[in-house]
Amino acid sequence: MSESVVRTRRWSRVEYERLIEEGVFQAGERLELLAGQLVVREPQATPHATGIRLVTRALREVFGQDRWIVDMQLPVALDEESEPEPDVTVTADDPRDFLPSHPARPALVVEVAEASLALDREEKGSLYARARVPEYWILNLRDRVLEVYREPHPDPSSPHGWAYRSRQSLAAGEHVTPSAAPSARIAAANLLP
Amino acid sequence: MSESAVRTRRWTRVEYDKLIDSGFLCPGDKIELLGGQLCVSEPQNSPHARAISLSLEAIQRALAPGWHVRVQLPIALDDESEPEPDLAVVAGGPRDYADHPSRPALVVEVADSSLALDREHKGSLYARARLLEYWIVNLVDRVLEVYRESGPDAGAPYGWVYRVLLTLGPDERVTPLAAPSARILVADLLP
Repeated sequence: MSESVVRTRRWSRVEYERLIEEGVFQAGERLELLAGQLVVREPQATPHATGIRLVTRALREVFGQDRWIVDMQLPVALDEESEPEPDVTVTADDPRDFLPSHPARPALVVEVAEASLALDREEKGSLYARARVPEYWILNLRDRVLEVYREPHPDPSSPHGWAYRSRQSLAAGEHVTPSAAPSARIAAANLLP
Repeated sequence: MSESAVRTRRWTRVEYDKLIDSGFLCPGDKIELLGGQLCVSEPQNSPHARAISLSLEAIQRALAPGWHVRVQLPIALDDESEPEPDLAVVAGGPRDYADHPSRPALVVEVADSSLALDREHKGSLYARARLLEYWIVNLVDRVLEVYRESGPDAGAPYGWVYRVLLTLGPDERVTPLAAPSARILVADLLP
């Protein structure tokens, strides 16, 4: 259905969590709440899963276990109408702090993108920027590069009014230093499947 | 959010009814399930409301006993659609249906800002469900659009369209398929 003439109902994060608790969705459904819309996650090909494992392993090596948590595909309580499940997140602090709700402010969010590249760049990029996530990576399997986004700033032309000011594209031979781990150096080659 | 890059979750009619039963959707919410999507209806202005009352009166007068007219009540159209047309003419009386009726003999939508939605999306949806007759009381052009004879059309949103469209001005008359001896003046439907 084209969206030109149809306005669909938007869901708040609180409603979304209640839908999950009450078992409204089918078992195994892969959904994310993005700006009020229940978005279906596409099935993952093997390189996508491998990319997630490589990123998680590399980030767990550079972020100490005492102060940071590196999670795979767990919900983030991003804003009142968004609860994405990024492929990898790095979040400060103690997991018990998250009991009342999912973590809201990861220091770093990573999406592994193949078919979802446009969604990850435009929609999610704008959404993460709006939530002031300081750093966002897209492991771009299509072009075999790591895209590093930083410095969220208002941008009226973006889907959600915010975008990242700085974008770097790192090829396999280059290195990245996460802002939250200033002494680390991760080879992009180590992240690519 | 642009729809180009995202696929949103579609709802079945069974799930939709569950959302209502468990209080996620309230009777006051102006929501219809159309082709798996929870669509928000636009608020109604007074000409819209007046046209519904006028059309209800005119159609009720035209019908023989054995029919009744439902006003903005749900229709169990298909597995992923539960629209609430402005008017629906169904066989029998209200007590004849334990569930929402699924095959009205005539559905009527009153359209001003919703004209495109009513023509393209609902028209295709009603045609796909093989509803025999669909009217749009078009307040923008002050005409009645009468749609009949559904058939497949790959270019339509739901793969079906009505092949016959009669556009009738206020001075013309319409005979509903369900009331072959009636002649309703289009002016009587218009506010």
